[in-house]
This record gives sequence, C-alpha cells and structure tokens, in this order.
Amino acid sequence: MYSPRIRLTGFLTLAVVLTGCASTEVRSYVSRGADLHSHRTYDWAPVEARSTGDPRLDNNPFFQQRVRAAVDDQLASRGFEKTASPHFLVHYHASVTQDIQISPNDHGVACEECRPEVYDEGTLLIDIVDVRTGLLAWRGWAKGSIDGVIDNQAWMEKRIDEAVARIMRELPRGL
Amino acid sequence: MRHVLRLTAALLSAITLSASAARMTVSSHVERGLDLSRYRTFDWGPADALPTGDPRLDRNPFFKDHVQGAVEKGLFARGLRLPATGSPDLLIHYHAHISQRLDVNHIDRVYGYCSQSVCPPDIVRYEAGTLVLDIVDAQTNRVIWRGWAQNSVGNTLENREVMARTIDQAVERMLLRLPSPTRLD
Repeated sequence: MYSPRIRLTGFLTLAVVLTGCASTEVRSYVSRGADLHSHRTYDWAPVEARSTGDPRLDNNPFFQQRVRAAVDDQLASRGFEKTASPHFLVHYHASVTQDIQISPNDHGVACEECRPEVYDEGTLLIDIVDVRTGLLAWRGWAKGSIDGVIDNQAWMEKRIDEAVARIMRELPRGL
Repeated sequence: MRHVLRLTAALLSAITLSASAARMTVSSHVERGLDLSRYRTFDWGPADALPTGDPRLDRNPFFKDHVQGAVEKGLFARGLRLPATGSPDLLIHYHAHISQRLDVNHIDRVYGYCSQSVCPPDIVRYEAGTLVLDIVDAQTNRVIWRGWAQNSVGNTLENREVMARTIDQAVERMLLRLPSPTRLD
C-alpha cells in the first residue's frame, strides 16, 4: 500500500518531470572579453550544411526563412543593422533528437503514474561571431519538446517566433 | 483465467503496437499564397547529397523507379506534364531517410490488463522511414512546397510488394496536400 506521503511525492515528481519535458529551456553565455556594446552591425553567415537530424527540416526553406526573419526582427528592435561589412556574423543551428523520459521511482514501489514518455526534442541555437577575431561573442539556445510541431506549419512558425524572442531576450542589456 | 487475461493482453498490445507503428503520418509545408496553376510542366531535378541513413535504400533502382513513377502519376493527374521541349516550370526531387526510433506502449495500463506491480515499461525500437518530396520553382530555384510521409518500415525494405504499396500510399497522401488549383478559366 502507498502511504499518502509517497503518493504526493510521486505526484510532485511526475508534475516536475512533465513540465520539464513540456517547457522550453532557454540559456546563453557571453564570451569573456567579447565587446557586444560598441558595434551594432551584422550579417548572416552562410547556411551550414550540417544535418538537423530530422529529414523534414534538412534544407527546409520554410523553416530557415522563418528563423532568419525572426532573428532579423529581434536584432532590428535592438538597434542592430544588417550591412555588407558587418562587425558580427550571425548563424544558427537546429537539431532534433528523440528523447525518453521515465518518471523516477525512488522508493522502489511500482506506481501507476510512472510512465515512460518518448518525445522529439528540438534545439535552436543562435551564435554571434566577432568578424575581426573570428571568435564566438555570444551564444543563446532554446531546447524543448517539439512533438507534432514540424507537422503543423502554423504551429512551427509560432514556436520559432517564441523561441527566437526568448533566446534574444538573453542578450546582455544595453545591446 | 489469469492466463487467458495475460494472453489477451499480450495479443492486444501486439496488435496495438503494430497498428501504432504502422500508422503513416503525412504532412507538408507550403509557400504562402502558392498558386500551382501558374505551372504547367515538371521534371526531375538533381538528387541531393544527403545520406539516407540506410544502405538498403542507397542507389536502390527499384525504390527510385517506384517513387518517381508514383510521383509522375500523381502530378499527371493534376494536369502537369513533362516538358516536350525546353526547360520545365517545376523541378521535383525527393529524399528518403531511415532512422531508429523508440515508441512506448501504454495499452496494458490503459485497459488495466496488468496490475500495478507487473506493468513494465514497454519500449519498442522500430525503424522509421521518411520520404520527403520537394517541388522547386525552376526559375527562382526556390522550394515552393515540401511534403513528407513517415512510417515504420520494419519489413517494408525486404518486400518489394509492401514497399511498392507503401510508396504509392505515401505519395498519394502527400500530393493530396498540394494546394488546390485556383484556375480562373
């Protein structure tokens, strides 16, 4: 028999795990010594040919254009200008992997809420590279479940816009 | 009685598994406002360099011929033709990809066929095949439409008849998603 306490713990753990795989996690870092403040010009680096891990997204112009447009919007709203001889080059990388989440069961007791879940995890990563030094100045990324998202174009576009907006909010203040 | 229940549960989950693994999903992305009636002719574009992820599909003439045949048939039915002379309005190319994926079976729990103490997580590994079809505007070299079908391809690759049927179904369902022509005539 379960004690109510174990039940509650199980429920809470499950809630945390579920939110964990449903929500999008956003992170970033600024390279030490990177000067992100005195220059506000950028251009896109050539599209990289690396596979995303999902054939639906590889060389997919509908995806690529949406990401670029979203980043352009976000950078423009921060006073960045796209020029032919920029101070920064921007590029992004998207990847999809299947992940499995098994609700932990730390009491060694079987519980009906403990279920493995398999889902597609998508990562969108945006890099800002200093053209003069060739070094990465800033990197931001978002990671989260994208189950069913690619199969629905409108939903995919919405998720791209949201992810890019959240990633770019991570840019250092004053930028 | 318990044995019967167990067997039923096992059978049911086997059926459900194969059903869920065999379910083909089809979808597409499209350029906003695409009007296909602007285009009259199509031809095959150069193949891409992306790997299929499986040697059984690489340079497989049967697979290639069958995909091309199914796509041509579908496009003919929509009034497109191969160009008699000159260059086509549209270029078509496809990409096939196979990857290992996992699926989880929840049926035992959902239908209560196992008690709480004997429900193991039932995770199956399967081969997922994806067929991606791109339609490119030959003049601008832009992809104006991409369709795809995904399916478990367990024994499909070893059996030509099953493969042919699967390809036909995939292509037919993909092309159904093309925007309907808005002819003015």
